[in-house]
Amino acid sequence: MVNWAQVFVNSGITGSLYLIGAVGLTLTYGLSKFPNFAHAEFITLGAFFGYIVAEPLGLGLPPSLVVAFLATGLVGLLCYRVIFQPLSKKGATIIHLMVASIALGLVLRYSIGAIWGWEPLYFKTSWPSFDIGMIRITGLWIWLIFVAITLAIIMHLILVHTKIGKAIRATNSNPELALASGINIDRVILVTWFIGAGLAAVAGIFRAANTQIWPMTGWDIILPIFAVAILGGIGNFYGSIVAAFIIGLAENLGVVALMALGLSTSYRIAIAFIILILTLIIRPEGLAMLFRRS
Amino acid sequence: MDPLVYVLDFIVLVGIFSIFSLSLNIEFGFAGLANFGKVAFVLIGAYTYTLLSNINVPFYVCLIAGATASAIIGFLVSLPTLKLREDYLAIVVLAFGEILKVIVKSEDWIAGGVWGIPVYPAISVTGSSARLDMVINIALVYFCLFISFFLLQLLANSPYGRVMRAIREDEVAAEALGKNRAKYRAQVFALGSAIAGLGGGLYAQYLQFIDPYMFAPMLTFTIWIMVLLGGPGNNWGALLGAGLVQLFDRGANIVKDYLTLPIDPSNLQYIIYGILIILVLLYRPQGLLKESQVKTKAMESIFNGRGFAKNRRG
Repeated sequence: MVNWAQVFVNSGITGSLYLIGAVGLTLTYGLSKFPNFAHAEFITLGAFFGYIVAEPLGLGLPPSLVVAFLATGLVGLLCYRVIFQPLSKKGATIIHLMVASIALGLVLRYSIGAIWGWEPLYFKTSWPSFDIGMIRITGLWIWLIFVAITLAIIMHLILVHTKIGKAIRATNSNPELALASGINIDRVILVTWFIGAGLAAVAGIFRAANTQIWPMTGWDIILPIFAVAILGGIGNFYGSIVAAFIIGLAENLGVVALMALGLSTSYRIAIAFIILILTLIIRPEGLAMLFRRS
Repeated sequence: MDPLVYVLDFIVLVGIFSIFSLSLNIEFGFAGLANFGKVAFVLIGAYTYTLLSNINVPFYVCLIAGATASAIIGFLVSLPTLKLREDYLAIVVLAFGEILKVIVKSEDWIAGGVWGIPVYPAISVTGSSARLDMVINIALVYFCLFISFFLLQLLANSPYGRVMRAIREDEVAAEALGKNRAKYRAQVFALGSAIAGLGGGLYAQYLQFIDPYMFAPMLTFTIWIMVLLGGPGNNWGALLGAGLVQLFDRGANIVKDYLTLPIDPSNLQYIIYGILIILVLLYRPQGLLKESQVKTKAMESIFNGRGFAKNRRG
């Protein structure tokens, strides 16, 4: 007997995680015009920063989110400034930029491995769990959903009402026009990389607190996050909200189906892959068209 | 360990990795396709070889079947992305490699799941020594390498090779000249995958064992380093890159055994790889050897006629 209410709640939780993880990827992808594969390592790095603040220092979840956001954001900004900006200025092709991001990912992943080792670590904090009707939910998951909703509202307000948000949207849709209108594109992209890497860190903490933390933490969830970015339409924040919940739902329904068929649940990553392929065949621009103003 | 066997082992691995780097070079160097899932096609070749050789199919049939299976699957995987930008292909094949690894890990009946499975060597002589086995492997691997290299050199200097480069340089212009971008891309991707599959079969029979962990994404990026370092668009560069990276690998292994460093050398090795790629991309994106110029009869006669062939071709 499948507890459907629980499946839907779990979908919301999975979707929240993917949303937080994918916003940074989709925004930097849209602005810098290449997929940053090192986004996985930003997630991992953030998880480790968060772990240090939350566990050995014992400060708890909220400070660890803030510290990891700022520290990883700074790393992301530096990476862009030192590697990707010079490459773009030298006229590197999109393939060169992608390869450079993979190389950066290697450097970060194995540096993390050298510093903290490859043995999985665990957050020791135990979260209280609540039963609401047929649904069981833990304190961590409530935090995750709360952070995802807050993020969606704050990002919306930033994108619509602030100068930097308008600049991000303008640069995303037409960089030449944005430049001609006096927008400092370089600064806009730097700010976006800061925010993007910072949000990746937040996703990393939640993923790590829910499972384990090791140098592949980010790589473990990078596939659904890419699927969210592409299904949502690259660079489109609103599209990625919808896409994150579609993929969260599909994965959780998929796990139910896999168990019913007696297959290994490690195939759940194949579900995001199938959605990715279907998106590319049917609608390569993703859901972005749904959110364009007429 | 017998020092001669050590050297011979190095020569075999350089040969196998040269086949891998040639297969990426045709895709990335010549046609501008970013195959971030090369390992998937090596895996297909290796597993096809293993499954067929375990039911006593002759080794050359196994190798050809591995290459064919790789080519067909490569063609199918590249289909949804052929008309899109290069980054979509990269993401799709990278994801495909991960999925394939999950499949061979979870399905024990395919080839032992996570525990792997022994593989028979292609040619086994009864009562032979380790040295003789190595020599046989060198003959087999370098025969395949020679054929692949020869074919790819012919292709690179043919009208087909010129179209590949034209599409890489300017898709719109190539389309305007009536060259179907998607068709060429699919063909090149299938060819590259076939060569990778051939290499995968050779790799499996040489190591005489396969398991899913051998086919980690790291293998893909090792091949990328070889091509980027050697010089994309130059088949000699692909060979040079494979040799250099294998040499570095050996060096790292020796360091692991004899030196104590503050950083674990197995981590340090990949950190150095990553930094090396970034530096190459920043300061020498053309690699060590420059892209080989197309050789045609007409070009040769022009250069010879004017008498500065050597200077211009450099």
